[in-house]
Amino acid sequence: MYIRATGNISPQKTFGHPPMEEAPVAYAGNRLACFEPDYKEFIDPKLIRRMSRIIRMGVAAAMECLKEADVKVPDAIVTGTAYGCMEDTSSFLSKMVEFNEELLTPTAFIQSTHNTIGAQIGLMLQCNNYNNAYVHRGFSFESALLDGMLLLKEKEATTVLVGAVDEIINNSHAILSRMGLYKQGPVSNLEIYKTIPIAIGTKGTIAGEGAAFFMLASEASATDYAKLDGLHTFYKPAGVKEIERQISSFLEKQAININDIDLVITGKNGDAASDKIYDQLGQTVFNNSSMVNYKHLCGEFPTASSFAFWLAANIAKSGKTPALLGQSNSANKTIKRVLVYNHYMNMHHSLFLLSAC
Amino acid sequence: MSDLKSQIVAQLNLQDIKPEDIGDDQPLFVEGLGLDSIDALELIVLLQQQYKIKLSNADEGPKVFRTVRTMAEYITAHQAQNS
Repeated sequence: MYIRATGNISPQKTFGHPPMEEAPVAYAGNRLACFEPDYKEFIDPKLIRRMSRIIRMGVAAAMECLKEADVKVPDAIVTGTAYGCMEDTSSFLSKMVEFNEELLTPTAFIQSTHNTIGAQIGLMLQCNNYNNAYVHRGFSFESALLDGMLLLKEKEATTVLVGAVDEIINNSHAILSRMGLYKQGPVSNLEIYKTIPIAIGTKGTIAGEGAAFFMLASEASATDYAKLDGLHTFYKPAGVKEIERQISSFLEKQAININDIDLVITGKNGDAASDKIYDQLGQTVFNNSSMVNYKHLCGEFPTASSFAFWLAANIAKSGKTPALLGQSNSANKTIKRVLVYNHYMNMHHSLFLLSAC
Repeated sequence: MSDLKSQIVAQLNLQDIKPEDIGDDQPLFVEGLGLDSIDALELIVLLQQQYKIKLSNADEGPKVFRTVRTMAEYITAHQAQNS
């Protein structure tokens, strides 16, 4: 199956398929925010007024993807989100408290459900086909992608719009900060992999968000980004040895070995405990592999792997790492096969394998 | 009525519409401002939140929410009853 088109709204300038030759955008602080387009170009102003930021982001990314794919109505729409529409949920819950569980505004309630974005895309396209939303924490995007792959494999569909959306809002940022997820003190996204000064500490990462959509197709076309060879997930591995076994087993199933991989994209996020896993793999299974990271571009969030998937698709298409990555690729050869290995809080581990068409 | 128009614009998040753009007798639904059934629910909440008026009879809705003037008259009538 093939990745025919993409649409990505992220904390980098990724929307509208600009050349990825600009340096990454630097942020001061532990929170990255998406660059948002002028939504009026993509969404009827009458609909925009009811949409919160994450819905606009998701819908616009999906519309961009559909436009690039030149698909009017896909055979299926599958979305993944861990947090759902948090701004609407927060608004709805705050009003419940403020008005003593009475006088609740219907719009925030209606739009607070996790399937809002997939449903909104379906409504806008008047698409009555399969429409599903996965809320599986750090596996939300992976579950959506797996569903899309199965639909194609079982010939239930020939084109599937798969996407992931998650936002960070003031309330969630404050709560997750209190739980110790994010770095405290001055920090820049471009510095998170470097040795961290004691004042900032090695614990925590940077908060991120994004909306990324992909058109998966069963048949190849002349403009595909990449071929999607495989996906694998595993939950709470016992240790690095088990992760190594999972990676080796995944590659074996694809009838390749690690030397066939031209580039490994890892989910390092600046948190010492989390990054230790990637560092250990860098000394064992990825010892001879060219490795790059991506979370300095989009921040950490449960569906951040969708950004890595987008990055891998673009790298497979161009054959090289873009300047946007801000990291050089030690291998000088053309990149034909990309492996993404990501974990979210050492619980949700995932592998994607993409290759050039 | 200008306060009510401002409240409607804020409650419904009517972008690119200023309160003064809404005519006193302009229909709020369909051919006028183009509001829909979800907006009707929002207007019911507005009446309760801002004016403590509970629209108990759903059949009154189309008449009450026809224009800003009919809404204002309904509010005034209820406030007079309650005072």
